[in-house]
Amino acid sequence: MSAAATIPSVGRPRRLGKALPGALWALLLLTPAFVSLASVSFYPIVNGLYLSLTNTSLITQEQAFTGFSNYAELWGDPQFWNAWWHTIWFTTASTVLETVIGLGMALILCEAFKGRGLVRAAMLVPWAMPTVVTSKMFGWLFDGQNGIINYILLHAGLIDQNVNWYGSTDTAMITIIIADVWKTTPFMALLLLTGLQTVPNSLIEAARMDGAKGWITFWYIRLPLLMPTLLIAGLFRALDAFRVFDLVYVLTGGGPADSTETLSTLSYKVLFSTLQFGYGSAVSTAMFITEGIIALVFCLYLVRQIKRAQ
Amino acid sequence: MDESRKGPRSGSKSIGHVTIADRRQFLIGSAGLLGAAAFGAGTSLGIGRARAQSRAEISFASAAFFGKETFGDLIKAFNGSQDRILVKNIELPPPSSSTEVYQGLVQQLARRTGTPDVFSQDVIWIAGFAAAGWALPLDEYFPADKRSAYFTGTLDACTYGGKLTALPWFMDSGMFYYRKDVLEKHGGKVPESWADMATIAAAAQKAGDIDYGYLWQGKQAEVLVCDAVEIITSNNGAILAPDGKSSLINQKGAVEAIQFLHDTLATNKISPQDVLSWDEEPSRQPFTSGKAMFMRNWSYVYPIAQDAKASQVVDKVGVAPLPSFPGGKSSACLGGYQLGVNANSKQREAAIELLTWLSSTEVQHRIALNFGLAPTRPALFQDAQIKKEQPFMASLEKVFTGATARPITPEYAKVTLALQSGISKALVSGNVQAEMDATAAQIDKIVG
Repeated sequence: MSAAATIPSVGRPRRLGKALPGALWALLLLTPAFVSLASVSFYPIVNGLYLSLTNTSLITQEQAFTGFSNYAELWGDPQFWNAWWHTIWFTTASTVLETVIGLGMALILCEAFKGRGLVRAAMLVPWAMPTVVTSKMFGWLFDGQNGIINYILLHAGLIDQNVNWYGSTDTAMITIIIADVWKTTPFMALLLLTGLQTVPNSLIEAARMDGAKGWITFWYIRLPLLMPTLLIAGLFRALDAFRVFDLVYVLTGGGPADSTETLSTLSYKVLFSTLQFGYGSAVSTAMFITEGIIALVFCLYLVRQIKRAQ
Repeated sequence: MDESRKGPRSGSKSIGHVTIADRRQFLIGSAGLLGAAAFGAGTSLGIGRARAQSRAEISFASAAFFGKETFGDLIKAFNGSQDRILVKNIELPPPSSSTEVYQGLVQQLARRTGTPDVFSQDVIWIAGFAAAGWALPLDEYFPADKRSAYFTGTLDACTYGGKLTALPWFMDSGMFYYRKDVLEKHGGKVPESWADMATIAAAAQKAGDIDYGYLWQGKQAEVLVCDAVEIITSNNGAILAPDGKSSLINQKGAVEAIQFLHDTLATNKISPQDVLSWDEEPSRQPFTSGKAMFMRNWSYVYPIAQDAKASQVVDKVGVAPLPSFPGGKSSACLGGYQLGVNANSKQREAAIELLTWLSSTEVQHRIALNFGLAPTRPALFQDAQIKKEQPFMASLEKVFTGATARPITPEYAKVTLALQSGISKALVSGNVQAEMDATAAQIDKIVG
């Protein structure tokens, strides 16, 4: 090849291209990208799948192929299902709340008003904060003894004694959801704002000319046109929420009574506290499969939306 | 030997050049071998001085503790004190990130390369490291007569399968803090039974002298297991049977003890519900701000309670062994870091020498003064200088004598997760017997 390249190519500019068939060239150029993706993404997934079929443990030093026994154990493991349901509940609640509130914020930010640029920038602050910082902050806000939330609610007469936010199984998960909503709603708002800006102004003006009020314009014009963005944003958010780790790890460690244990914290404990890489990989793989199903559902909806639009 | 080591190195010249790192590696390797030889010859022939590069090179890994100096300074002192061994200090994360320290050690030990040669380990990892064959049994180096200088509870925690696989270094344990001024109003006698404690605490709470009678740690975390071990052992109960093959957590002793903890939240209400989400620091804060009468916590609280900048209760705090149930003995959960030698160490003699030095009376004395970490040798608690500079530590000998190890099993990491979850559920729901039955079944499956 180098020999071909050094031959003077005056008058024959296509010489190099002809040395290899077109398809091969394409493959050759794709190789670096493929190798880097395969080594950082494909290989770890396959290796994780393989580990989940073994009883690998750093402590017992075992590393034998055991087929699907980890999955059989997982199926009958109440800890796993407990964490699975909590994760689904967290994902659903936080995604729905963030989408609804984020949509409201996006609609406001879409309107022209003085200082809009500043508000748009300021809005992103919670999202830009490291989650661990958010977690610590909410830890103090919702502190059962000295927290400002209890103080405000108590003085407003909404509660008659301090609520034990993180120490009670009834409120611990809700508090974590509130923290997540506070943190990630701006991200949703930003995504939806870009979607809203693609809605042609002419359509809205035409609706106004026909006498449509704000609500009607939103319901019949903006929302249908926003639907694909909404679904994609929801998909992003749901997949991200499904992996919730930092908030739970910092705030409750999965307690009290396992009431905030999620799949990420469970797999972290199994993988890195007990060092059972086999079983831990099975938990992670189950998580991966569930995420796949969530993504599939969203994509089916999305495809249907697009087809309907056509 | 030198030539054979050189062989493969020059063979790898196909890459084109030998890096400085390669050369250094080689030098270190041969220096280590020479050093070991010199050490053997030096000690037997009485040759004191060896050339600097002929020192045996070993490494020491430990979680990073801070005080007036660091462990790096200790290692420097060792390197300066003799000329046969040169120790490289590998600093792991601080003890507050103990999961990361654990991972760091496991990854290095699992490679079986002999690095680190000497390491320090949390008491709860000892059995796991021993069962994996990573920790060298130390019986031949430390026969029974040398061990009697240490606390028995610490030695128990350092023993796995009848073999001593760790050497005691420094320790901590759970203890009972009380407010002297409030107690004065309510009889003045430090309660020795849990029932008395609950009665006094409820009375003081009712009289409005304090907001909370008794503070402990109920967060679903390792500290919950510590609190549980203490109260269960003080009722003659246990988490694991003596052979470590089955769980006793659903037996009478343990169930009564956990029931008592639940009662502090639900029945006599001497503890706030918030305890269920508190680990050490959140429970310490109300105590040092003067809101509570009794508290279970570690030794680190005392200096804070005596610091006028952080505490409202300076000179009002006393410390005693934790209460017990009728017929039981006060028990304190053992914590602290103990020393181990890597079973794959290529410099065993040098490693043992470092280990012996670190655990010696002189070095434990130095650690007590400079780091505030309590010695594992009871004799040091009578030391005049420690009594003068660390009077609180010196007063803890009685507390430490009752120190009890957490369940000794190579599966501890799994057992503790099951315990944290089960006890937390029992405390929340109040169905103590049912939850303990379920937890026992789970633990039986893990250790059986």
